[in-house]
Amino acid sequence: MSDFAGMEDLLQDFLQEAYDLLSDVDNKLVDLERMPDDRGLLNDIFRGFHTVKGGAGFLNASELVTLCHLTENLFDRLRNGELELTPELMDVIMAATKGVRDMFGELGQMVMPQPADPTVIAALQGALSGQMPGAAPPPASASAPPAEPVPAKAAASAPPGSGGEPDWQALHATLTGQPAGAAVTQGELITKAEAAPAPAPAPAGAVAPVAGDPPGTPSPFGRRATDRPGGQPTSARRAEERGGRESTIRVDTSRLDQVLNLSGEIGLTKNRLTSLRADILAGKNDSETLHALDQAVSQLDLLVSDLQNSVMKTRMQPIGRLFQKYPRIARDLARQLGKDVELVLAGEETEVDKTMIEDLADPLIHLIRNAVDHGVEMPLERQAAGKPAKSLVRLEARQEGDHIVLIIADDGKGISAERIRAKAVEKGLISEEEANTLDERQSLNLILLPGFSTKSEISDVSGRGVGMDVVQTNIQKLNGSIEIRSEPGKGSVIMISLPLTLAILPVLLVLLGDQPFALPLSLVREILPIERERVQEVGGKETLVVRGEVLPVISLARLLGWPLARYPEYGVFMQTAERSFILAVDSFAGRDDAVIKSLEDFRPKGVAGVTTLSNGQIVLILDMKELLADLGQHPDMAASLRALAAA
Amino acid sequence: MAADPKMRFLVVDDFSTMRRIVRNLLKELGFTNVDEAEDGAIALQKLQGGGFEFVVTDWNMPNMDGLTLLQTIRATPTLKHLPVLMITAEAKKENIIAAAQAGASGYIVKPFTAGTLSEKLNKIFEKMGQA
Repeated sequence: MSDFAGMEDLLQDFLQEAYDLLSDVDNKLVDLERMPDDRGLLNDIFRGFHTVKGGAGFLNASELVTLCHLTENLFDRLRNGELELTPELMDVIMAATKGVRDMFGELGQMVMPQPADPTVIAALQGALSGQMPGAAPPPASASAPPAEPVPAKAAASAPPGSGGEPDWQALHATLTGQPAGAAVTQGELITKAEAAPAPAPAPAGAVAPVAGDPPGTPSPFGRRATDRPGGQPTSARRAEERGGRESTIRVDTSRLDQVLNLSGEIGLTKNRLTSLRADILAGKNDSETLHALDQAVSQLDLLVSDLQNSVMKTRMQPIGRLFQKYPRIARDLARQLGKDVELVLAGEETEVDKTMIEDLADPLIHLIRNAVDHGVEMPLERQAAGKPAKSLVRLEARQEGDHIVLIIADDGKGISAERIRAKAVEKGLISEEEANTLDERQSLNLILLPGFSTKSEISDVSGRGVGMDVVQTNIQKLNGSIEIRSEPGKGSVIMISLPLTLAILPVLLVLLGDQPFALPLSLVREILPIERERVQEVGGKETLVVRGEVLPVISLARLLGWPLARYPEYGVFMQTAERSFILAVDSFAGRDDAVIKSLEDFRPKGVAGVTTLSNGQIVLILDMKELLADLGQHPDMAASLRALAAA
Repeated sequence: MAADPKMRFLVVDDFSTMRRIVRNLLKELGFTNVDEAEDGAIALQKLQGGGFEFVVTDWNMPNMDGLTLLQTIRATPTLKHLPVLMITAEAKKENIIAAAQAGASGYIVKPFTAGTLSEKLNKIFEKMGQA
């Protein structure tokens, strides 16, 4: 049973918005380190915690309320100049922010957050009471708990009934449920919901409705007072069961309006076609009717492609939502390593498919860590080289034609192709001869090989030799590619190129007998005829020499476990990350923009999905990597094709 | 005074989740004619467009905060009659006093239930009925 039964929607909304707020707070914290006295920043951060606290209260997440409350109070003191921001205090704030993020994580698993790390709470309370080492002792008046009754002059400053405004004592009565004129005391003014700057963490009851609420009032969101955190043993398991993916998306309403508008237009065109059909079935086939039919179909064509585009756009999200997490990560890491690094973001507004954004998160973190850890030098080393002590790492996104390009650039020491080659040979990844044939670009690409890491000692930050190859694999899964450039002494640039969307895949349709198959066009280099006399056998395997390159010829029929009915006439020169080869097929049916449909829970090996041709025929989209991984039999593939043929 | 269920509300908060919460609570109380604004400045624009009968506003917002919004409403002849309910997480006495001085019709502390909201609204309606 969820801790948030009946309020899942609210929770989703809250989290989505609160994560954005927190990322913003994170970035502002990074800025704050440079400008510790900036009141605007302090105010914004204060408001961030304040807003999260307000929302958390409605979710009954009392631990989150407590943590935000303490942090918010700290920023209140900071912005009022009652406390001074020291590096020690900054660390406490960073820890508190992390605590808030962790609690969001728990909420995301529909689990009531556990109490924050007691040391963080204690540090916050210590800072608030002026016991933070290095923190300026706050003025006595500010540190005194506001426990005294309201001074009479406060009441006097707003005389009852002044200037036709509602008199505030009567108002207080309304607010607190106390009869007007009753002694106004702290306890009444400050409702139980907010033990305001009291140094103790709010008790469990702190989020109870404000005073005056009739006991047992049913909650508007079905929250249950009995659902207290406690240490449910199920939490961890639940956390594992749910993938980290967001299941909701925020879409600009104007884009949804466009979708609505287009579907309306399509409805109208459909009506037109229906009436034309009636006419034609009734025997009316004069040129005017046929012209009208032609027009209606053309219009439908246009509208449908517009609709597809619009729907696709609803999935597009600005990549800034991903980027904004990184300055904080870079800052933390740089601090840990004793480096001075500024992460500069550009092109945050560039829009990328939502799934892709999620899949890019980890590779980008890795690349940024690499840049900070391996790329840039220590401040002294930089100064010795005549560079500014502070290093810049730039993360940029931009759209180039139908591709998205991501760039991670640093102004560090660069990558030495010579060293990379030597390392690769030393690790046995390539032979000495191979190393000698590699040019600069190819040498740099060696760092993408599994098991490659140039840093001799393993740091717990980025290098463990399982990095760049994983990045490479992840990017390839998105049909993207990586390019590395470097200039020794000046820095390195890593460029990631990605297709705009994953929903539509350009494919090449090949034929085996009469059966078409779709191959991802991105892997196809060229198409060539297979002349039987030019096929050579090398070590029992068929090969073909194309412009001096010896390529294995692999028959698609054999890959699928089909009998070879006749000798294939054409070869498709394909290139995956691991190998280049020629796929032998009977013929071609053309190229198409396939809308991939997944086979739900039925996934035969070697099949990425299916698509439908214009004539209604269903075609399998082949996953070449999977097919090649095992050149043996594919019984399930064969079975699925038989099933298809029977359908 | 019995509240008119068609009464037009403006809910002002920079946190959209909070606007939704307030909107849901109002709906629960039978008020469905609700518009939203993201901060005081946008709220003021909407209010000047006319047609609103009740303002429910957050305090802490960027651009123009709730207190300034309240003060501006009270200083604008065409708007000064509008009931304004302040919603905030601040329950400090200075805040309540400031809100009262600025002419707030009511003050409610987060989190709250539909019951509490109803109570506050009714008290404001009563007052309006007397006036």
